[in-house]
Amino acid sequence: MISQVFILSSQGDHLIYKDFRGEAGSDVVSVFYEKVTALTGDQPPVVMSHGDLHFVHVRQGGLYWVATTTSPGSSPFTIIEFLNRFSALVKDYCGSLSEKSVQMNFALIYELLDEVVDYGYIQTTSSDVLKNFIQTEAVSSKPFSLFDLSNVGFFGAETQQSKVAPSSAASRPIQSSRESEIFLDVIERMSVVIGSKGVVLKADVEGEVRVKCFMPSCSEMRIGLNEEFSIGKSQLRGYGAAVRVDECRFHQNVHLDEFHSNRVLRLCPSQGEQTVMQYQLSDDLPSAPPFRLFPTIERDSGGRLLMYLKLRCDLPSKRFVVISALSQELSSPDQSAELKLQNRAIDWKIPRFIGGTQLSALFKLEVSGLSPSSLMEVGPVVLVFELPQLTVSGLQIRFLRLSPVQPAPSQRWIRYVTHSDSYILRL
Amino acid sequence: FLHDDLKEMLDSNKDSLKLEAMKRIVAMIARGKNASDLFPAVVKNVACKNIEVKKLVYVYLVRYAEEQQDLALLSISTFQRGLKDPNQLIRASALRVLSSIRVTIIVPIMMLAIKEAASDMSPYVRKTAAHAIPKLYSLDPEQKDQLIEVIEKLLADKTTLVAGSVVMAFEEVCPERIDLIHKNYRKLCNLLIDVEEWGQVVIINMLTRYARTQFLNPNMNESLLEEGNDKTFYGSDDDEDEEEEEEKKSEAPMPKRKPYVMDPDHRLLLRNTKPLLQSRNAAVVMAVAQLYFHLAPKVEVGVIAKALVRLLRSHSEVQYVVLQNVASMTIKRRGMFEPYLKSFYIRSTDPTQIKVLKLEVLTNLANETNISTILREFQTYIKSMDKDFVAATIQAIGRCATNIGEVRDTCLNGLVQLLSNRDELVVAESVVVIKKLLQMQPEKHSDIIKHMAKLTDNIQVPMARASILWLIGEYCEHVPKIAPDVLRKMAKSFTNEEDIVKLQIINLAAKTCVYSSIGKYLNQDYKYVLNLAKYDQNYDIRDRARFIRQLIVPTEKSGALSKYAKKLFLALKPAPVLESPFKDRDHFQLGSLSHLLNAKAGGYQELPDWPEAAPDPSVRNVEVKDSVPEWTKCSSREKRKEKKVEKPFYSDSEGESGPTESADSESDSASGSEIGSGVVGSVSGTASEESEEGSESEEEEEEEEEDEKDKKMTMKKELKKPVQENPREDDMRLTLSSLFPVEPAPSPQVTPLNSFLSNSLATDLEGLSLSDAVLSPATLSPCSALKSYELLHRIRGEGLSVEYCFSRQPFSPDANMVAVQMQFTNNATSETKNLHMEEVKLQSGMRVKEFPEIELLPAGETATAVMGIDFCDSTQAANFQLCTHTRKFFVSIQPPVGELMRPVFLTENEFKKEQGERF
Repeated sequence: MISQVFILSSQGDHLIYKDFRGEAGSDVVSVFYEKVTALTGDQPPVVMSHGDLHFVHVRQGGLYWVATTTSPGSSPFTIIEFLNRFSALVKDYCGSLSEKSVQMNFALIYELLDEVVDYGYIQTTSSDVLKNFIQTEAVSSKPFSLFDLSNVGFFGAETQQSKVAPSSAASRPIQSSRESEIFLDVIERMSVVIGSKGVVLKADVEGEVRVKCFMPSCSEMRIGLNEEFSIGKSQLRGYGAAVRVDECRFHQNVHLDEFHSNRVLRLCPSQGEQTVMQYQLSDDLPSAPPFRLFPTIERDSGGRLLMYLKLRCDLPSKRFVVISALSQELSSPDQSAELKLQNRAIDWKIPRFIGGTQLSALFKLEVSGLSPSSLMEVGPVVLVFELPQLTVSGLQIRFLRLSPVQPAPSQRWIRYVTHSDSYILRL
Repeated sequence: FLHDDLKEMLDSNKDSLKLEAMKRIVAMIARGKNASDLFPAVVKNVACKNIEVKKLVYVYLVRYAEEQQDLALLSISTFQRGLKDPNQLIRASALRVLSSIRVTIIVPIMMLAIKEAASDMSPYVRKTAAHAIPKLYSLDPEQKDQLIEVIEKLLADKTTLVAGSVVMAFEEVCPERIDLIHKNYRKLCNLLIDVEEWGQVVIINMLTRYARTQFLNPNMNESLLEEGNDKTFYGSDDDEDEEEEEEKKSEAPMPKRKPYVMDPDHRLLLRNTKPLLQSRNAAVVMAVAQLYFHLAPKVEVGVIAKALVRLLRSHSEVQYVVLQNVASMTIKRRGMFEPYLKSFYIRSTDPTQIKVLKLEVLTNLANETNISTILREFQTYIKSMDKDFVAATIQAIGRCATNIGEVRDTCLNGLVQLLSNRDELVVAESVVVIKKLLQMQPEKHSDIIKHMAKLTDNIQVPMARASILWLIGEYCEHVPKIAPDVLRKMAKSFTNEEDIVKLQIINLAAKTCVYSSIGKYLNQDYKYVLNLAKYDQNYDIRDRARFIRQLIVPTEKSGALSKYAKKLFLALKPAPVLESPFKDRDHFQLGSLSHLLNAKAGGYQELPDWPEAAPDPSVRNVEVKDSVPEWTKCSSREKRKEKKVEKPFYSDSEGESGPTESADSESDSASGSEIGSGVVGSVSGTASEESEEGSESEEEEEEEEEDEKDKKMTMKKELKKPVQENPREDDMRLTLSSLFPVEPAPSPQVTPLNSFLSNSLATDLEGLSLSDAVLSPATLSPCSALKSYELLHRIRGEGLSVEYCFSRQPFSPDANMVAVQMQFTNNATSETKNLHMEEVKLQSGMRVKEFPEIELLPAGETATAVMGIDFCDSTQAANFQLCTHTRKFFVSIQPPVGELMRPVFLTENEFKKEQGERF
């Protein structure tokens, strides 16, 4: 059972506070904020206690979403999952998650909370059901414009910004729009470990297909995937460029009757954002990893540490946005590098990296008391990047059809992106 | 005066204006402004027809009900009116608002409203009633008894919407009344998959508790087998000895104990929760995982590993909690997660606390076979920039080294190398771990101790310094020359040391003194140190110094103790056991808050232990009485639904007669006979299983009188998931058959009218019987209950038509073949001769036994023949030519999956063995 729910900004401002059971005073908000800020480290524990009261919180959109509970019988999972769902609901209804949007739509959020939780018990979090009850309309922070790309943010990505148009179109309240638009995103996250000899030690890709639907009533949607898409190892279909994943899960509303024959997903999307399909691919990438590094590390006569890094991009020539950590720029004006002393790393930023080319950098580091063994202590290179218009697994959307054909012209956007989840190159 | 415009709007006739006004008022409330002066104007609009306005009025009222009780009481009558509204949403919302008003005077009104709503037509309103119960309970706990009655009634509700909410109420009001669940247990299990996700979590948790009180421990007889692979890991754990003792204890009474047979209801719970591992909701997945961990036989627990590993891909908060639980599980059931070792490798983006938990899991998973992989992985982690993580990694290496003897030296060497690391924290942590490892075999490693003695000059981390000093003191016999030297250095810097280091310096002083006094070599350093300590600011240190002085410095006063100084100081100390912090956490229910906090949170309900003897399982049987409560009908409907589905599976009779009809006719006959004999279960000559069917059918009869609406709902459900239920029912049958040996004789009560039915029933029973006498290949007559397929149409066959069916009898010439019964009909005007088959084309491995040639088939006549095909368990078609004296026809037989079975006879024990292997 949930005793209270509140939303705090990162500065500790009370944005939303609702007490469901009257079990604890309202000073708990400040108690929580003190606890959170008193802790060092990058992430405070998910569950914190204050006497009999337990705080469970998640961070979404730069805000603290906190629920308190006094009953130990309730599973922390329920509350965490609830907070995640609730923040997703707020995002659907308000368009985007930020301090500003929450502040502007507090009436709507209170109404949502009222419907979602009754006396601490979660009633429903399904946006289809809630649609019947919610009366308040969302206030958008600014009128939507397709050409306004100042606040770009790929709505599927949590970590990075991207320059994929029209991403801001996707971040607006689902109820206010009159346009019938559908956004379909294929998002993949890579986690790769490449050993010092260039051998791929581990490679995983997690992918998902997300739909954000703005149509108030969408009858049926058919999504066609690559015909040669296969699940599991045994199921390879023919020869050539098969798109293989190890495991695949679908949203419960997806009808799979056409999936096995034609690789078509049928669903009736509800308004808002949902993950239609999730898949994983492990250990066996269909192509070579996108980036390779050729490092040389040695000690020069002056007792300095020399690091010569050559980074090669093995992808077909397209443009890529790459931000890589550990390294430094010397020649190019559009790259930059800085030495971060507190975490003892060099941050080498490459705004754009053309496929099929390579970049190199030489770093000279003055290290006191350099010994031969300290060459062994140089940590791995971590690459952080985003590859738009590309999926590593090769998954493509063949078509996206709505049936029956909508009276109003509908706009359908399909976007692909691959993120690095954890791309480690060991030295 | 402030809100005149709003009042005006509220008084207007236009709904849109009222709505606008209400929205503005609600927004004011949200901002914390006082809008109580609008109360009269707002209350007027309760009667408004517009639902949106009404809803906002309710929002307003709830707000002021809590603050201004007088005003709230004024509004009670409006809610009472709302409770009678024809719209279910209004009724529900009125009840919700009414129950949210925390004013004790209205308790009787609330009670009445809840009671009425509990029998409302709309399930949504009943759900709201269930939610209102805890509210009333917290307002007035004296209403408990009455509320329990309502809960009992709602528990019997058959809609999925209500099930979750009422179990929430049950858990809050009367979790101790486990007896209320008995009758609803099977229904809850069956409904579970359709309940909304938040309800599922609560129901699963409740059922876990229920199962722990009602069923026997499925692992009680496996204690001998279970440890086989876990043993090595706990090599040094005391815990293992205990377990061994336990095993020995349990060995003795075991032969006496009856072999464990899982209660079918227990099985039902496990089977019905398993699909929920696929849920999108992490809470549901975790609830099922803990259910399996606490309730399932060891061999079956493995299924949850995959689902939990999948949760590791979601938000970091979820990961954190999952890893906590996985860490607990890996201690008890290591094998389960071994295949997923790589999933626990650290990613560069993981926050520190997740990294540390992953390390914990990796350490728990380490064994002889994978330790080299894990150590290689750890090696790279040491290079990380995250210092806390590096420290945790070094600790983890230490734990691997203590647990797995083979790698101890490798680990030690690795750690010694780390001593020359440039990072002091790394060195310090390594020292602490090395100290622990050295304690296990100090005599071999005096060179390492010497190396560490040198480090005292450089290392500043107090914990590391203290560890080194302790090591030198403890093993001064191995380094007799170095120890006094170190003491001399330390004595110099004594005053500047941290307390923890000072204490160890005193210890070192004492130990060298005691040791050297034996070697007749005296050093005065220790006196200096003790004198310094005597005037230290810390009383702990002063105390220690005083205590040690008494022991080692001989004075007149010093008593008998000083004789034993050597024994006291240089006693052999047991090596520390490095164990997981998660070791004892599993006594908390997994997935609970207490488990996460590793502390008993106030009000935590412990998971009860398994009972010694199973309580009466018949309490869950649904009785048949005249006054059948709603739930009885419901559960019987459930069963019926299953039965209907099962029918085509067994007999494929759907072609000839609708399944409903067959079920009805059966129930008619069976219940008819039962009314005759008057006692449930006493039908002579039938097996116990059938009598159960009989009682079901009696319920079915009552159910016929149910309203149409309910029937539709049942039908809908039927359509929804026949596929899932089919195999389940099949299992159930097999389990039943193993429990109750079934007599093969068909029941005499079956009237000839239902001949085809009795036929199929007999076949079913035969399949279940234990004696194979009945099954000797009987004459194969066309059996209408079997579905027949067309092999050759009469037009294509120029008058000859051929149909075939799978007769489900053993094919006597070859047991691996499926018997296919063919029926040839000659519709032509002339006779057909020499019917035989040729040119059989088969997939590899498949074999065919041809049917004997039919010499002559006169016009208008019908003949049957049987052929055998070994499909090799595939569904590949068997192609061949059917030849007459004039023509050849290409035909093919493709088996449906369900037909590739053959009857197998098993004894009860064999069956259990098979079952154990499969599940």
